[in-house]
Amino acid sequence: MRDVFIIGVGQSTFGKLSDRTAADLGVEAVSEAIKDAGIKPRDIQIAYGCRVFDALTTAQSVLKGVGVTAIEMVNVENACASGSTAVRGLWKDIAFGLYDVGVAVGVESMTTSSIAGKLIPPQKDDFDGHLGLTFPTYFALIARRLMETHGATAEDFAMVSVKNHHHGCLNPRAQYKKEFTVEQVLASFMVADPITLLQCCPNTDGAAAVIMCSEDVAKRYTTKPVRVAASVLLSADYFFKKTDLTTVTMGKNACRMAYEMAGVGPEDLDVIELHDAFACEEIIHYEDMGICKPGESISLLRSGATALGGKIPVNPSGGLLSLGHPLGASGVRVIGEVALHLRDQAGKRQVPNARVGMAQMLGGMESGLEAGAAGIHILTI
Amino acid sequence: MEKILIKDGILVEGPEGVTLAANRCKSCGRVFFPKSKFCLDCQGNELEDIPLNKQGKLFSYTTPGMPSSHFKPPYAVGFVAMPEGLRVFAPLDIIADKPFKIGMEMEVHEDTLWTEGEKEYVGYRFRPL
Repeated sequence: MRDVFIIGVGQSTFGKLSDRTAADLGVEAVSEAIKDAGIKPRDIQIAYGCRVFDALTTAQSVLKGVGVTAIEMVNVENACASGSTAVRGLWKDIAFGLYDVGVAVGVESMTTSSIAGKLIPPQKDDFDGHLGLTFPTYFALIARRLMETHGATAEDFAMVSVKNHHHGCLNPRAQYKKEFTVEQVLASFMVADPITLLQCCPNTDGAAAVIMCSEDVAKRYTTKPVRVAASVLLSADYFFKKTDLTTVTMGKNACRMAYEMAGVGPEDLDVIELHDAFACEEIIHYEDMGICKPGESISLLRSGATALGGKIPVNPSGGLLSLGHPLGASGVRVIGEVALHLRDQAGKRQVPNARVGMAQMLGGMESGLEAGAAGIHILTI
Repeated sequence: MEKILIKDGILVEGPEGVTLAANRCKSCGRVFFPKSKFCLDCQGNELEDIPLNKQGKLFSYTTPGMPSSHFKPPYAVGFVAMPEGLRVFAPLDIIADKPFKIGMEMEVHEDTLWTEGEKEYVGYRFRPL
């Protein structure tokens, strides 16, 4: 197995862009990643594409728009962790020497998808879904447990949203770019008590891409190659094995595997991008990632440690809450975001002197299981 | 109205009336609701049918302000921790003088959950005691 590096990062505009196709957004992201890497489109030997809704030959539909055709292209889906799955696939192909240069691209057009303006509907055999279990209600049940077991308050959940929206104001690509106060977050529509609308990620159209390569290739194109120190993809265990709703065992185990693979620990992380589809969710990942001791996530949040300027900034991009959440793109986007910080190119939201970062994306709600999939990547420079 | 159970075999007449129909692994004792074809814990193949206790304790709850597939506000849903060691997701009855509180006693009852045309979909709810 050999080392794999990220040499190109690209992201499209994020927002409600119903006049643009998913492929068009993908072209914007891949073109930027190719330019950033300094390679020619035809240098790309392998492509991974991902999209969650209305997906069909995603990579081909994007790459024909940048002049890349007639190579091996693989399309994957793993709910919100689709992007992590695409990057993981590309990482394996390069690490095991099948190819030297490739691209992973994630796209989504939520506003034109078959679920536009709706809740993600339950599958016919999704028994709990028909009984009223939706993503917002599930996370509301988690939030309620955090209040019971961790002493969390409604203001704590709102604080996560305030923090990430503040970060989003520093990111020119963010969908919201708007500051909110705790009071404004709490006064917004009650989606599922205690979760209000401004604690939920928006529907977003957008795309993200990364160019990855072997060490030999990386040396030819950049003096700042970002190394993929760990790539882990793990699926969920049965729901009945969960001890409480306040931990995601799948995510916790994937983090442990990633730390072992990278030879680093949570104390070494300088920056984290994670799945904050709902504000309360970010809090449970703090403990699962080990950046605080069990039971101390609320005090970590209140200390300001996870805000820009703090000890371990979480979601400096604005996260899904402010930057937006195009499902297929987010798993790729978090990896690009961490790479930008390690290269000291994240602009106003830069985490100073970042050397080690984690990009996490969890996805899916499968009846009978804890969730769908967890993708964890640790990057170093 | 035609009555349709939302999933076959989920209810059973127990010693104290209608309750949830579960099964239990004869090797490891793990209890499953809805019933499982094999033990998802130890992979054992011998399971016996058991009625779940009618009562459990509220584990978490929410009163959504937005509709789900079949329910419009006001409604409530939550997890109920059963004495057999499993948590059941269920619609909850909202009773004015019995506000939800984690740990409170809840009891299951059979009920029509929603209707579609001439079809009445029957399942279960838990109510605060």
